[in-house]
Order: sequence, then C-alpha cells, then structure tokens
Amino acid sequence: MKPSSVLDLANLPDADVVALAQRGREPAYRELIRRYERPVFSLVYRMVRDRELAEDLTQDTFIKVLSHIEKYRSEFKFSSWLFKIANNVAIDHLRRRQLNTVSMDGSPHATNADLTQATSFELPTHDETPLQELEARELGSEIERAISRLRPEYRACILLRHVEDKSYEEIAATLDLPLGTVKTYIHRARHELRKLLDHLREDGAETPVEEPL
Amino acid sequence: MTHRHLLPNEIDLLLDEESGFGVRPLREHVRGCADCRDRLDAAKRVASRLSELPLIAPRYGMADRVMAQVPVFVPWHEAARDAVTPWIPTGRVPRLAAAAVTGVAGTLITGGTLWVAARGDLVATLTGLAGEGAQAAATDAAGSFVVAVFGPQVVTVMQQMGAWGLVAAAGGFAAASLATIVGLRHVATTTRARS
Repeated sequence: MKPSSVLDLANLPDADVVALAQRGREPAYRELIRRYERPVFSLVYRMVRDRELAEDLTQDTFIKVLSHIEKYRSEFKFSSWLFKIANNVAIDHLRRRQLNTVSMDGSPHATNADLTQATSFELPTHDETPLQELEARELGSEIERAISRLRPEYRACILLRHVEDKSYEEIAATLDLPLGTVKTYIHRARHELRKLLDHLREDGAETPVEEPL
Repeated sequence: MTHRHLLPNEIDLLLDEESGFGVRPLREHVRGCADCRDRLDAAKRVASRLSELPLIAPRYGMADRVMAQVPVFVPWHEAARDAVTPWIPTGRVPRLAAAAVTGVAGTLITGGTLWVAARGDLVATLTGLAGEGAQAAATDAAGSFVVAVFGPQVVTVMQQMGAWGLVAAAGGFAAASLATIVGLRHVATTTRARS
C-alpha cells in the first residue's frame, strides 16, 4: 500500500483506511470520522433526541473506537463495529436517564405504543432557545415523533434497517442480538409506526420533513 | 395462490423484497386481494418515509474535537520506515541506481567482514601492532611532559632506577604538589586575616 500522503483516502474502502489508521496515520483517523460523523450522529440524535447530548455521545463513540483501533479485526465490518459502540453508548445513556428521571416519552415498562402514549406527557411550551428550535426543526416531523415513541431497541433496529440500509444479519451482529429477535423488533417497530402514522393516511397530509441546517 | 389474508411476517417478507420459493404465492395473493395490497402499501409508505429521513450533521469541528483526545500510536517499524522513506529516490532509474549502490556497498562490507573474521591471526597481529603503537605514543608523550617539567636529568635517573624510580618520582611529585597547594592556601588565609 502507498503511503497515506500520496493516497486519495476518500476513494479507499473502509478496511484500507482502518489499516492506515492502525499504522499511525492521522489523516486516516480523520477520514473515518469524516465518513461516519453524520450517520453516527443521526443515529445517536434520534435515539436520545437532544442535540448537545448527541454531540457528546457521538464524540465519545469516536474516541472509544479510534483509541482502540488496533483491536479492530477486519473480518467484522468497520461500520458495524462503530454503530455497535454508538448504539451501546446511546442505550447506556438512556438507561441511566431512566434511572434518574421520569420519562416524557412514556413508561419504560410500556409494552406497546398505546401504553407508551398513554403514559407519556408533554411540558407546557415556553419560549424556545435557538437549540430547541433547531431540534424541533430536525426532529419535529411526524415520522421523527413516531420514531421517538418506539422503544430504544426497536428504534435502533428500524433506523439501522431503513436509514442505514443494513441487512438483518448486519443489524444482529451490530446490536449483538439473535437474528430472530432483530426480525421481531423490526416487525413490531413497523407495526407501531404504521399505527402511529395511520391518521396521516386518512388526512392525506404530513408535516414535511425539513432538511437540516 | 394463498386463499387467506397474509400474516404480518409475510407482509414483511414482501416489504423486504425477499425472493424464494414461498414468496411467489404471496405476491400472487396480493395481486388479487385488495385488503392485503392495502396493508402492503401502508407498510411500504412507512418504509419509504423512513428511508427518506435525512442524515443530520453534527456541529462543525467534530474531527478536531475527537482527535484532541485520541492518542495516535505509530508502531516502531512504521516510524523507522518514515525516517528512511525521504532518503529513497522517487524516480524509477534513481531508485534502481540507489538500490544497486546499496547492494554493492552491502556486499563489499559483508565480504570484508567475513574475510577479516576468517583470518584470526591477521586480526591478532594487527591488534597487537595497534596496541604497541598506542603504548609507544603514550610513553613518548609522558616522557616529553616529564622532561619539560623536571629536566632531562630526572628522566635519566628514573630510567636508571626502573619501576621503583618511577613510583618514587610520582610520589615525590604528588607530595610536592600537595605541599604547594597547602602552602598557597595558608598564605592566602593569612593575607585575608591581616587585611
């Protein structure tokens, strides 16, 4: 392999960029961050629904992965490894938050969307900060709100399946779940989303999904 | 063709565009069943909305913030390679020439080393000659120093007395030096006390 200084890193497959990072090439580290900062941030942001927190958790994810890059084994897809860490970081945070606070998104013991909705509550709206406004624009569409009502496990599965376009097998490897469980989670998530979005079909309109700034 | 409505997992199979032996009858059923087609369309609409979700960008500078906290480890062999790489010519011909010169030099050095190692007697002789030369040079230098400091008569006496004469001369020189130092210090102390 040529030295990284004369390589166009953007055109290399992940495995080669990781190999360069393992050889101590800093541009390769930066290339991996450039490739995955949006997908990882999007996943984490949709999991925790707090922009600042998602920034911190995304940063933690990359620090964890890149600090142990020498432990990466090429038989595993790099993106799967990265999403696994990102998902674990987000789920750990959500679990800690559940222990410390009452969830606005509904009871953690709710077993279906109706119970989740029944046990959720909304705070009265006050003047929004610019960050809250940005969050409302980014995650305020009907589909985003519907995703937020799913259990975190369902949320991770459905996002990896439809946003990241991962196969069931990849999702199972990424989330350390049996293949059957992944299929069940995705099936239930789709079912709940269909129910949550059913009224749109009848109304024939949806709040448009706005592009991020 | 299936004569019952599709089960939810069968709708999922069609949604994921699975292919296989069991999927074809499901497709045929959907073509003829408005209810199942409606359910499949609803599932497709949700999947389509999900796949259209945009990727969201984090705040600018994520790479800098991460790299500020990630230690980049360079393995020793990579560091060594980096040190050597600038010295390797980039052109094909210069590189071949450099390789040829390095090869010839390496061969000569290796051959020379092996030849010398095979001739133990020659090495011993050369080492002995070098040792004698160094000893003679050191003796000459010491003799010149003694002549310059004490005069040629002292050297003659030392040569007549042999090794004991050398020891006695060295002892006398050390004692005289010590006495001089002590005397000078005494004079200095006395002068300071008077002033």
